[in-house]
Amino acid sequence: MSETEPPPATAVAAPPRMVVDARGSWCPGPLMELVRVIKDEPVGTEFELLSSDEGSRKDIPMWLEKAHHELIEVRPDSGFDRYIVRKTHD
Amino acid sequence: MSSSQAPPPEQMAVVLTESAADKLLPFATLVSGAVALGFRVDVFASYWGLVAFRKTPTAPSASVSPGHGEDGARLEAALNAPKAPSWKAILEMARSIGDLHIYACSQSMEVLGLKKDELDPLVEGVTGVATFIDRTRSATISYFI
Repeated sequence: MSETEPPPATAVAAPPRMVVDARGSWCPGPLMELVRVIKDEPVGTEFELLSSDEGSRKDIPMWLEKAHHELIEVRPDSGFDRYIVRKTHD
Repeated sequence: MSSSQAPPPEQMAVVLTESAADKLLPFATLVSGAVALGFRVDVFASYWGLVAFRKTPTAPSASVSPGHGEDGARLEAALNAPKAPSWKAILEMARSIGDLHIYACSQSMEVLGLKKDELDPLVEGVTGVATFIDRTRSATISYFI
């Protein structure tokens, strides 16, 4: 690549992000869904887990810490929360 | 994934003796939470807990323990709602993501006249109590439901 040329906008590809809608699922359903998709998808995948289960607020960060995956962000929405997560290892 | 350096997984032992929906759902919930956390879970299904695993042509409707009045009726309605998860579906999911083993109590099999092929395939075998105790001797969590 030439030094003078700016890199094309598409050079930094966003990691694939998968939405996992577990709203309405009872505890520990959203955690189970997350464990399942993290097991199945490749390293680097980002997940947006939607959960209306109040237990998820402690369960999800606790599990991610124990399993050593990354919790990027928790975004409260109306009646549910969005957990943005990255799979960091197999 | 296995490594000779890795410690053995933590283990949870559960003895299930009840078949009411308000026992089976907490049972399945505990099991799935433990499995999600990486526990190996061993279940000893005994008496009504074993009958709950008997194969039926259609899924029976959930019925709760008597004596809970309006709360019981409300719970029963919630558990029989179209989108409500069944305790068996929760166990099946738990088994698909982790290390779950369910055994039938041999005494219950004999007393109740049950045969292994009459039981849901979630039940992987028939064992005596001593074998179950031996398998779960290092469990750090144990429940009797």
